[in-house]
Amino acid sequence: MKRVYTHGNRAIAEAALVAGLKFYAGYPITPTSDIMEYLAEKLPEYGGVMMQFEDELASINAIVGASWAGAKAMTATSGPGFSLMAEGLGLAVITETPIVIAYVMRAGPSTGVPTKSTQADIYQARFVSHGDYIIPVLAPWSVQEAFDLTIKAFNIAEYLRTPVILLSDATLAHLWESAVFRDRGEVEIIDRKKPKVPPEKYKPYEPEEDGIAPMAVFGEGYKVLVESLTHDERGFYIQDTMVQRRMVQRIVGKIIKNIDRVFEYETHYMDNARHAIVSYGTSARSSLAVVRDLREKGIDIGMVRLKTIWPIDEGSLRKTLSGVEKIFVVENNMGKLVWDIQRIMHDKEVIPVSIIDLDLPSPNEILEVINEWL
Amino acid sequence: MKHEVLVIGRGGQGILLFGRVLGVAAAKYAQLHVSATESYGSETRGTESRVDMIISDKLEEIDYIKVRKATIFLVMYPFNLEKYMDMISDNACIFLNATYIEDFPEKPDWKIHRAPYTEIAEKETGTIRTANIVALGHVVGKTGIVKPEHVIDAIREIVPSKWLELNIKAFNVGLNLP
Repeated sequence: MKRVYTHGNRAIAEAALVAGLKFYAGYPITPTSDIMEYLAEKLPEYGGVMMQFEDELASINAIVGASWAGAKAMTATSGPGFSLMAEGLGLAVITETPIVIAYVMRAGPSTGVPTKSTQADIYQARFVSHGDYIIPVLAPWSVQEAFDLTIKAFNIAEYLRTPVILLSDATLAHLWESAVFRDRGEVEIIDRKKPKVPPEKYKPYEPEEDGIAPMAVFGEGYKVLVESLTHDERGFYIQDTMVQRRMVQRIVGKIIKNIDRVFEYETHYMDNARHAIVSYGTSARSSLAVVRDLREKGIDIGMVRLKTIWPIDEGSLRKTLSGVEKIFVVENNMGKLVWDIQRIMHDKEVIPVSIIDLDLPSPNEILEVINEWL
Repeated sequence: MKHEVLVIGRGGQGILLFGRVLGVAAAKYAQLHVSATESYGSETRGTESRVDMIISDKLEEIDYIKVRKATIFLVMYPFNLEKYMDMISDNACIFLNATYIEDFPEKPDWKIHRAPYTEIAEKETGTIRTANIVALGHVVGKTGIVKPEHVIDAIREIVPSKWLELNIKAFNVGLNLP
């Protein structure tokens, strides 16, 4: 355990090392590059390899390959780079490959403002690739949490055999904060489940009771088919509705079945709160200041902060928000998470507080909107 | 205890190093909770640099990452000063680099300290480049925001060895300013 003063990007890189990262592939992009720069220096000391590839397409395909070779693997990028990773991410999804993508949002569309922040990409993080799937998306709000949730991202990826997105933004990337970084042995580190059956009985996509298929590593005697076409439990391409259904149900079902492992949120001042703010990531930092300002004026308002912005455990969110009158969804984009909250809390008044700000919506900007509704 | 520290100056004056040193001193050595942002122009020097730093002994007191009402305000160079006037708390400690700033408004509960940090740095350490650390000494000496020894530890951790003794000297000069 060590006490540090560092920034969000460094926290992600340090956490990846603690989680057991062994292969990093990437292509530099603002505001993400210092993750790669730091790992270029440090990862070899931890027995790993950092490689800069010719682009993001190669990078994500390389980490999928590395993961099948048994290495914990990650890449980091921003919006334009993630767009290029769409195809490779789909490959990771259908082959149920554990990988972690640190996605540091900047302003878009297209190349936008490379050095500046927004939260505009929460849907791109969820759904960039085609086809039916759910992949977990975690959104830290502090340097401490950038560290903690990166470890969680690796643990989920390994446990559920799935890609996981750690969704940061340019503000957090270069926010300097005090934090405590724990070392191996001080945090729970999960490694993927390997087959217990002999090679001749092994099917690479056959789930056990928990919905997750054990993953054999290349070179250990097991036959593995890494198939991007719809496949049965053996990995054979089969053009059949029932096989398609089974496969999609497995990919989606293992996440939903283990929602308690994936979905995390916290509440502030929610005991008997009359109104609530729902927020996530750096916007929640401004939102908490707003909650305190309003409480000083005697308004009973609380905050629900999602650490996991996809998938959402709708039942527990409904329970937490059941007693409030008005719900304000604060985010630094045109209003996106608010669509989920309006659907989940359809019997409540859900008000978007969508403030596009290249740095961070300020508490005063948020207050201006909320005050109109109170 | 919660401080909101706002530092503004001109690129090249070491505003960011000021922030790093104070941040490390507070976070690692004084074991306080710190949150800080930096902003600067893409030019090497000449445009506005700014550090916003929230320091508290309670983690839960830190929410918004930028200064809303500065309790400590250091002006190394008067860039767009009028823009900051609403951001100063009523009983703020204000530090002015008198080398570049003459006029500054007064308010009854403001404690205004003035010293020509740039001139002092040149006279005492032979270079204007340590003006930021002279100012840091003055801020730490007058506000007690962290202990001087914590800042010395932070300087030793961050500043390259070639510049180390000069910066420690600059810090001590600042500490003893009236």
